[in-house]
Amino acid sequence: MLPADCSRRLVAELRDALDACAERQRQLERSLRVSRRLLRTWEPAETPAPQPTPAPETSGEAPSPESTPSSQDLKELELLTQALEKAVRVRKGISKTGERHKALSLKSGSAATSATTASAPSRPSGQASCRVSETKPPRGIQQTVVPARGLPESRLLSVGDRTHMGRGSRATKPGPGPRDQQIPPSAALQAPEAFTLKEKGADVDCWLPQPLWKPCSGLEGGSPQSAASLSTGFPDRILLRLPMAYRKAASRNSRLWAQLSSAQTSDSMDAAATAKTQFLQKMQMTSGGPGSGLSAAAVEAEVGLLRTACLLLRRRMEEVLSADPADCMQEYRCLLTLEGLQAITEQCLHRLQELRAAVVGRQLGPWPVGRRPGASLPCGGGTDPLWSPQLLLYSSTQELQTLEALRLRLAMLDQQIHLEKVLMAELLPLVGTQGPHWLALCRAVHSLLCEGGERFLTVLRDEPAD
Amino acid sequence: MGRRRRRVDRGAAVGALPEAIAALSRTLPAGPSPEIFRRAKFDRPEAAPALWQLLFRVLSPLSADGASASPAQEAQVRAVKSELRSQGYPRQALAQLPEDGSQGSRELLLALAWLLARGPLLERLLAQTRVRLGDEIPLCECEALARPGPPVPRVEADGPVDIRHLQWLMGKLRFQWRKLITSQQEQCALLGKIHSYTRGCHSDRSLGHLSVAETELLRDAEGGQQLLRRLESENVCLEAALRWRRQELVFWRWMDTVLGTCPPEASQPTFVPRIPERGAGEWELVARELQALQEELRGAAEPRRAAWEARVGGWGPEWSAVQRASREAVGLELAALQRAWERGGAAAQPHGPCRLVKSDAGASGGPGLRAAQVIEVLRSREACLEAVLCQLQRQCRQELARLAGALPGLIWILPPGR
Repeated sequence: MLPADCSRRLVAELRDALDACAERQRQLERSLRVSRRLLRTWEPAETPAPQPTPAPETSGEAPSPESTPSSQDLKELELLTQALEKAVRVRKGISKTGERHKALSLKSGSAATSATTASAPSRPSGQASCRVSETKPPRGIQQTVVPARGLPESRLLSVGDRTHMGRGSRATKPGPGPRDQQIPPSAALQAPEAFTLKEKGADVDCWLPQPLWKPCSGLEGGSPQSAASLSTGFPDRILLRLPMAYRKAASRNSRLWAQLSSAQTSDSMDAAATAKTQFLQKMQMTSGGPGSGLSAAAVEAEVGLLRTACLLLRRRMEEVLSADPADCMQEYRCLLTLEGLQAITEQCLHRLQELRAAVVGRQLGPWPVGRRPGASLPCGGGTDPLWSPQLLLYSSTQELQTLEALRLRLAMLDQQIHLEKVLMAELLPLVGTQGPHWLALCRAVHSLLCEGGERFLTVLRDEPAD
Repeated sequence: MGRRRRRVDRGAAVGALPEAIAALSRTLPAGPSPEIFRRAKFDRPEAAPALWQLLFRVLSPLSADGASASPAQEAQVRAVKSELRSQGYPRQALAQLPEDGSQGSRELLLALAWLLARGPLLERLLAQTRVRLGDEIPLCECEALARPGPPVPRVEADGPVDIRHLQWLMGKLRFQWRKLITSQQEQCALLGKIHSYTRGCHSDRSLGHLSVAETELLRDAEGGQQLLRRLESENVCLEAALRWRRQELVFWRWMDTVLGTCPPEASQPTFVPRIPERGAGEWELVARELQALQEELRGAAEPRRAAWEARVGGWGPEWSAVQRASREAVGLELAALQRAWERGGAAAQPHGPCRLVKSDAGASGGPGLRAAQVIEVLRSREACLEAVLCQLQRQCRQELARLAGALPGLIWILPPGR
């Protein structure tokens, strides 16, 4: 048994570490839920009646998860796609004059065949929506599902997701015939159309009201509710578009952030900066508090810097010690480096003592709570902080996985190093004093400190043979 | 003529100040009206509660993020006082204000101005509550550390525990990390899929595909509305911040007058500081490390110096020039090393959250970091940390061997190496 105060501290540290890990796990689970939901395919719903009430529960999740479509459903899907095709042809006839609509319908003509939208029950609402769309010609309500450029069907099967894959491939099987015919003409049109659609700045917000989402809300004009149909799990590349209002807001947002970051350096800023420093100085002079300007937060930051310093110095020392000096000059340089490192270490120690004196002797406030003393290499943050995130380009999922795995490994190593130091500080003195069950303690401490708790050593009593 | 111009100037200034203050309070969370500021200059008590709340929201940004209802007045007052003290707020008068939050509006105004003057407070606050439109990963952990998680109510283990309990906790921790890594890999796979499926859908060409938040926006109209609202309100705050930046000079001149109305304080020691365990523990660890390093360096340098002196003892003056050159070179190297930690060394390291964008490998020369480079940097950091951990474990092994060697008659069979 360990002494009480030692136990308390160690258990607290380990529980802290567990809590930090659990917090990460919670956040990750949240993101996973969202991502899984997005990729889950929309099953054929059980009941045909589309719910007009905008109940959020019905709008979101598919009511019956993970049911595979039967052949009956597939037949209905095929009928649905044919109905949509027909609707599109009718629309094409109506809107022959507008060339924009022509482009749209050409696209959707090819695409609607592969618009394997959700289910038979959606057929009545689908037709209703088509009628709705006909009454609102300027709102090009079309589903644009563009088949993947030149990618063969096999691409569908190579993606490893079983649940939506099975459905996706089966669902699109009924429709390869008409689609194949349509692919060649549409393929040629894809590239320019993809971008002409976008360049025509008007609100070509595409959505097909789904029974699982709020179909009646689609009737409200002017709302940026282009919940474009994420049909059966992205079997192909889908050309969705974000609502105009969102796009405007997002671009304005990034522009404002850029302005804010660049506003740091301008003439008016200099005048304000001098006014600020003058104000701070005046405040310091007229107040009765600690005159040195040292605060607990600053002390903590400096201690952190000194920890980094120690690490860097040690790394340098090991480099020097492991290098084989080839000639006198290099030997001399090694010697000088070592002595220089020694001098710097002494400076750091001295500074640490000063900080200690400052904390004890002066009127510094309570230590800032809640901040874990971790981070082997804290970023100073001294460089210009970028207030809005920069881009990180990755090229494949493996790369992303490697990146994330490395990041997590760094956090784990950080934590391990911190725990190692704490355990060393607490447990080694205990081993030094021989108490009862010393051997068991020694063995346990060895495994905790030297093997990360993963392996154990064996102790044999060497009895002299009789 | 001059007098008229002066009057016009003052008139303009009078109009500019409320505008500036209005811009400021629009940017801050729970910002009070300019009238409150004006009353605070004259230390009116009715202005105090609003300012206490403002300071509380500003100083404890994320925990008071609406999840937990704002605590009672006394708790707020205490939290504000302690946080300001730990940041080094110089004025004593704040610490002496009553805890019911009914007085001291002028002092609070000064505190707010002090916080604003010291650093980019507004930008930092806005960045913390920024609407995240993309899939972001933080490249360094400094944000994660600075933001404490929600305090978990923990039952303190009061009594002494067996070391096996510690071993169990360590094992649990290892297992949790393994679970975390697998979940993370799954999330990456899903993200990759979503990014590649939505390629070509984003209006911003440099991004090229939608993020999870944007795809979610398309799928869930209700949530999309919420996101849009948050985005728009953030835009309003950003515009207010820009207005503030243009007009803040007026505010600082006014704050000078506010400071002028305060009587100067006499220097007086008030309380005995306490050093809580954590802070002291950290200090101890660093001190011990530095001392150990110093010992090692001394042990390495002294014999070399002795050997060198013995060898070089009689060498001539032409050596001294060479020696001086070496000394200078080494001096420069060490100075660069020192700068590396004094400046935080962050220049070379990627810092801050990054938005993930999936793009083909051929896209070079565009803005943004490349994952391959970041992976290299992270790998080198990993090697560094592993070296540190190995070295610590080696130290422990030596120490334990020394302690165990005291007892003869035992054979220690180490576990098979990695």
